[in-house]
Amino acid sequence: MLVVDNVTKRFATADGGVTALENLSLEVSKGRFVAVIGPSGCGKSTLFNIIGGLVEGYEGRVLIDGQPVDGVHRDVGMVFQEESTFPWLTTLENVAFPLDVAGVPKAERLERARALLRLVGLEGFESRYPAELSGGMRQRTAIARTLAFQPKLLLMDEPFGALDEQTRLLLGDQVLRIHRELQQTTLLITHSITEAVQLADEVVVMTYRPGCLKRLVRVDLPRPRDSAIVSSPEFGRLVAEVWSDLRAEASRGMQDIESHRKEEIS
Amino acid sequence: MAASQIRLLTLVAILAAWELVARSGLLYQEVVPSLLKIAAAFVRMLFEKDTWRHFGVTAWEVGAGLAAGYLLGLAFGLAAGTRRFFGAAVAPYVDGVATAPKIVFLPIVMLLVGTGIGSKLALGALSAFFPVAINTAASVRQVDPVLVRVGRSFRLSRWQMATRIYVPALRPSLVTSLRLGFGLAVVGVLLAEIKLSNAGLGFLANEHYSNFRVADLYAVLVLIFVVAVGLNSLMSRFAERRNQRICS
Repeated sequence: MLVVDNVTKRFATADGGVTALENLSLEVSKGRFVAVIGPSGCGKSTLFNIIGGLVEGYEGRVLIDGQPVDGVHRDVGMVFQEESTFPWLTTLENVAFPLDVAGVPKAERLERARALLRLVGLEGFESRYPAELSGGMRQRTAIARTLAFQPKLLLMDEPFGALDEQTRLLLGDQVLRIHRELQQTTLLITHSITEAVQLADEVVVMTYRPGCLKRLVRVDLPRPRDSAIVSSPEFGRLVAEVWSDLRAEASRGMQDIESHRKEEIS
Repeated sequence: MAASQIRLLTLVAILAAWELVARSGLLYQEVVPSLLKIAAAFVRMLFEKDTWRHFGVTAWEVGAGLAAGYLLGLAFGLAAGTRRFFGAAVAPYVDGVATAPKIVFLPIVMLLVGTGIGSKLALGALSAFFPVAINTAASVRQVDPVLVRVGRSFRLSRWQMATRIYVPALRPSLVTSLRLGFGLAVVGVLLAEIKLSNAGLGFLANEHYSNFRVADLYAVLVLIFVVAVGLNSLMSRFAERRNQRICS
């Protein structure tokens, strides 16, 4: 379904240049849920933008169903880290937006948008504006809007990054339910270990700059799952396993950032 | 004290001061006529058929000029705001011409489109264009970039991007642009009418002036003032109501 093959991306900066990603390869097969985890600054968002077709000028290939990605691909749906609902549209209009611009007749697109709002647990909020919803509800609206586009691959960049831990666990349940119902192929980018293990079939651990694949952890927790699973010993073992890989990278990242700060001060 | 009360008191104070000056004889009475004289001239004017013909001419010049200047300014501002290269290239010229009083272009405009209504309309459009273009370009750069990325992720065409993302995201600024453009279009049209015309409220005011009918001149100014204030408050009220619905 999705193949990222040997992708390297460099950015020019004032002091020479930064290699954000180096020889990164990964695969997501149909219907799977893969989480990419890595320390801040490991190029996670660069990877997101490359797969989404928003960034160009990299080495290597990104293939969707064997077709190379060139610009924004029809079959990739993106959910962004930031608040991205349209504040001037109601929840229902937000979700119907991609159908509207695609020319789907009104009755049909509203019906499909209503069904998606039910799916993300926002029934009854159809005529509310984003300003009247909580942050978690707004992100679910954004997810429903992306799903309305009927992407083959759902690409999410820390969609719950701005929310608190408890809300994230509960929203994780919603994401699990959506995945179960739609069998939606999903690539989730996150910095939360619990989120990655709670949701994914596989966790891809990335190294700190330049970002490449450090390890692939298979999450063999049974499905259907819900957030109660975080208390199981198996869950704890997987979180510890991911952290043991991530720890060295995260501390390398922290040292790097702190030494930059020191240079700036001196 | 509420803002509306202060506003009312200010008006009363100004009118009272005016009346005092008029009656004191400190200034030539014909130049500062009593309010009663102006009121009488105003009422008389409202019942003259000619007034409304002139009013219609000016309204058309302002309305059509504003519409043309606004739409062109909007398109230009969107282009300059979204395409950094184009924006940087044209900015100095736009800013430069924007500071010039547009009346200096009247002779050129008259040579191009004649001395009739077209020239007033063109000057109104020219006056409205610059504030709209500059305000729109500045606001476009304030649009949340993630909304633009959402648009790209849904593969919107350039036209859809403008109409479905930028225009709604800019709505508060579009109303501000309209108010700025309206104010300057009125100024541009009236100046052009006063300069050279045979119809319109500017022409009417100039006629009263030439014949030294000062009370009638003031009556025309009051009419312009009342209509302008009314339209402006209508526009801002419309904007507020829409904002309340979205931001409550």
